[in-house]
Amino acid sequence: MSQLQARFFTENQRYVVDDVPFSIPATSAVQDLSNVINKLLEAKNASHSKVEFDFLVRGQFLRTSLSAHIETEGISTEEVVEIEYVERITAPEPEECIMHDDWISSVHADAEWILTGSYDKTARIWSVEGKAVMTVAGHTDVVKDVAWVKRDGLTALLLTASLDQTVLLWEWNSERNKVKARHCCRGHTGSVDTVCADPTGSKFCSGSWDKMLKIWSAVPTDEADEVEEPADRPRKKLKTQQLGLTRTPLMTLSGHNEAVSSVLWSDSEEVCSASWDHTIRLWDAETGTMKTTLTGSKVFNCISYSPLCRRLASGSSDRHIRLWDPRTKDGSLVLLSLTSHTGWVTAVKWAPSHEHQLVSGSLDNLVKLWDTRSSKAPLYDLAAHEDKVLIGCFGGADNKLYTYRYSACQTDAGA
Amino acid sequence: GDDDEDLSDSEDSVYSGLEDSGSDSEEREEGSHDDDDDEDDDDEDDDIRNTVGNIPMEWYKDFPHIGYDLDGKKIYKPIRNKDELDDFLDKMENPDYWRTVHDKQTESDIVLSDEQVELVKRLQRGQFGDVSFNEYQPSVEFFSNEVMLHPVTNRPADKRSFIPSLTEKEKVSKLVHAIKMGWIKPRRVEDDSRGRYYDLWATEDSSILAQHKMHLPAPKIPLPGHQESYNPPPEYLFTDEERALWEQQDPSDRKLPFVPKKFSSLRQVPAFPRFIHERFERCLDLYLCPRQRKMRVNVNPEDLIPKLPKPKDLQPFPTTQSLVYRGHSGLVRSISVSPSGQWLASGSDDGSVRFWEVCSSRCVKTVQVGGAVKSIAWNPNPSVCLLAVALDSVVLIVSPSLADKQVISASERLLAGQQEEEPSEGAGPVWSETEGEELSQGIRLKIQHPKAVHQVAWHAKGDYLASVMPDHSSNLQVFIHQLSRRRSQNPFRKNKGLVQCVSFHPVRPYFFVATQRSVRIYNLVKQEMTKKLQANSKWISSMAVHPGGDHVICGSYDCRLSWFDLDLSTKPYKMLRHHKKAVRGVAYHRSYPLFASASDDGSVIVCHGTVYNDLLQNPLIVPVKVLRGHVITHDLGVLDVTFHPTQPWIFSSGADATIRLFT
Repeated sequence: MSQLQARFFTENQRYVVDDVPFSIPATSAVQDLSNVINKLLEAKNASHSKVEFDFLVRGQFLRTSLSAHIETEGISTEEVVEIEYVERITAPEPEECIMHDDWISSVHADAEWILTGSYDKTARIWSVEGKAVMTVAGHTDVVKDVAWVKRDGLTALLLTASLDQTVLLWEWNSERNKVKARHCCRGHTGSVDTVCADPTGSKFCSGSWDKMLKIWSAVPTDEADEVEEPADRPRKKLKTQQLGLTRTPLMTLSGHNEAVSSVLWSDSEEVCSASWDHTIRLWDAETGTMKTTLTGSKVFNCISYSPLCRRLASGSSDRHIRLWDPRTKDGSLVLLSLTSHTGWVTAVKWAPSHEHQLVSGSLDNLVKLWDTRSSKAPLYDLAAHEDKVLIGCFGGADNKLYTYRYSACQTDAGA
Repeated sequence: GDDDEDLSDSEDSVYSGLEDSGSDSEEREEGSHDDDDDEDDDDEDDDIRNTVGNIPMEWYKDFPHIGYDLDGKKIYKPIRNKDELDDFLDKMENPDYWRTVHDKQTESDIVLSDEQVELVKRLQRGQFGDVSFNEYQPSVEFFSNEVMLHPVTNRPADKRSFIPSLTEKEKVSKLVHAIKMGWIKPRRVEDDSRGRYYDLWATEDSSILAQHKMHLPAPKIPLPGHQESYNPPPEYLFTDEERALWEQQDPSDRKLPFVPKKFSSLRQVPAFPRFIHERFERCLDLYLCPRQRKMRVNVNPEDLIPKLPKPKDLQPFPTTQSLVYRGHSGLVRSISVSPSGQWLASGSDDGSVRFWEVCSSRCVKTVQVGGAVKSIAWNPNPSVCLLAVALDSVVLIVSPSLADKQVISASERLLAGQQEEEPSEGAGPVWSETEGEELSQGIRLKIQHPKAVHQVAWHAKGDYLASVMPDHSSNLQVFIHQLSRRRSQNPFRKNKGLVQCVSFHPVRPYFFVATQRSVRIYNLVKQEMTKKLQANSKWISSMAVHPGGDHVICGSYDCRLSWFDLDLSTKPYKMLRHHKKAVRGVAYHRSYPLFASASDDGSVIVCHGTVYNDLLQNPLIVPVKVLRGHVITHDLGVLDVTFHPTQPWIFSSGADATIRLFT
């Protein structure tokens, strides 16, 4: 088998070549095929400049030579091999390095602003250029998670969840650059580890170490909810510490046997939560009932849901990233395992604009960019971090990868 | 002429196939009868001879003649006028009637002579016709084994003796064909094993057979070796010195009873001179040797090893190092995990107690206690958040305020209990509240002991706290403190040995005290000792009680880990010697069937230990994983080990100032 009949096709109209089978050497690798396509495009269009391509054979990225790939995939060489080609995703470059004084616990970015939560008990707002805009201070303990709720013009609502068992709902005016705590959400009896606003921005859900999920209203009002205070609690002390108006949960979802580590809204009526009790649970946010349970074998640290491919990705303490289909009824069916990390996977996030890409961060100091079509190895390793990666996130629109690092030398100087 | 006919006749019978042998024999009888007649004719040569040959005579029935003589003239039938009556009269009167023969060919009556009668008689007797023939004459053995100088015949061998006989081939092929077609069955080889031998003991009484079962075989003579060979390898032959030594020695002292000798061939070996002597000695051996029955059990050694399940099937258990908690500057002697599993506390020789977030290895709090921390224990009651720290001669109660407000207030209430006024025993511990700097760090209470405290242990309810002050010469080694009433008491009146560590029973009011070589179990309600476990080790270093309360593991400085089943025995149910150096810490998991031991060789060994409710079934103990990671510093490896309360994770603290989490 020295020559193969192959037909090239692409969905990108800019790089279409004639739909005729070519005879190509079987030993050719990605680079050779890329040269072939570039030659063809040059012959068609003289002004074509060279583009690196990646190739997919039956939905799997070509990573070895064509013959080896065909042999492992068991594809017949009698017929014409259909090869799809896409523009190669260039390796993400660390653009900005935003230095924090302390560990970053969480990050959430939208189109313009980046919100980070830190172990120094504050949350910060940064511009995408990496300029510190605002420091949101108010928690009495470590900020564990942050989230944007929604933005109306110049005012934006944001959430910070903390180890001090509260979630604070802030209103930030980007023009005047002022932040005001609107509500203090009380009710959890453990550290609030995760928080997520629903797609419409009217509700949010928080998950805590006390095994509970709570759903809250995210609409700021001027009235405090009535709180049943325990009789023996010193009222005076509470008053002095109060920041914003007290808010009580709309609903409490209980069912997890261990701490809730990650929570998200898969659509406006469905909440998905991952826990240390080795389960991912899907809840109906309207009725508060549990719909599905996906059972794994290890502690789940993080989950992410992609509305594009409708898959859940989970990172757990056994170094694997697993993809789940949340719609299966009986659960516990892992679609795909991505294995390359050597430490706990602490963060996993789908690309918002690409249905096959996701990033993962791990305690082995690496961030990896994955394509689900190439499950054997990640596309790129991003080894910019010098210590544990705790969280990672895609930029809102431009698909650049922002990573935040905590470097050991920084803390020594800052803390 | 007769002989030829006979020969041809016999040849006919040989060649006439297998099928019609019966008809052949009939013909032969007829032929022989004819021969007799011919002989009669031959004898009467002067008579006319009929030349028609051997034809049925009735052909000439209608003719006047009966045949032709030698000259071709007709022989006319004689006029026969004898009737039956004449015949009868002839038979009665003629004395030669019995020797009268009727010749069919000549139709004449012939009276046989005496010689002829004699010949007939001889033939009828089966004897040779010739009287002079001696059938018993001595035979001459021409073809004998004697080699003759001249052979009897010099004729060369026939060609047919060299070539395969066609007729034989034809016969054989006929037989082969018949066998193939199934007409002839080859003779079956009879299985003669049955019935051929007679079972002599078939009717024997079984009781006699049973006696024979106790038969003891005589001791066997050792098989001959190379020395006994007639042609031994040269190294077995005696040198001159050996031979001289052999000759000097007393016959009973000799190693060999003979001198090895070499012969070039077996033919030259002389008769064995000591044969009778040797037989006699053998008989003496058989007669005098003590006989005893050896019970030999054929057991496959593999079967004696208990069948243990594979570690792969016993998951989950910690397998890899996940997190390292760095921050201490001295060796970390003791670690403890909060009941919720969110926090980890560690006490180090650098004089600090650190609180870590388990999932991120973040040090959230550091409390400077001002002394090397010997032991640290988190209150097991989840509704309070307190920590006991032992350093020097003080036990500190620390409230790290790392919990819900209600939990913190509950622990405040517990700490606010008032001291009961009691007559002080002089040497009793002194309770005091802290102030200023220490209070702001979270240190709430100080219990000043008379001597250096080595270990603290909480009761499961979280109100009682035991502290250990090892001392050889005093009964003042253990104190039990009650936190809510700020009261301390010494439960023991006598010194039973150097106390190493203590532990409370998780559910029942029992108290485990490990001294140097044994573990004593006291009933706190009845105030008496219920059991004393003998650890077969020199010096117990650590002890852990199973969450069920019926099993105890002890680590010792002589590298052993002993598992006691309290229902089974006071001796260890199992001794595990997996560590190369002293075992420093042991721990049970609260919910998973796991236990672990930490050693100075820098490793933590995780074992699976399933405990069954069924009293008949012994615990299943399988070592599953050796976890390495700690660096051995100053000959000290891992100092303490503890499990996460809910996950199958294990924490270990080492002399390299780190704490490691294995998941």
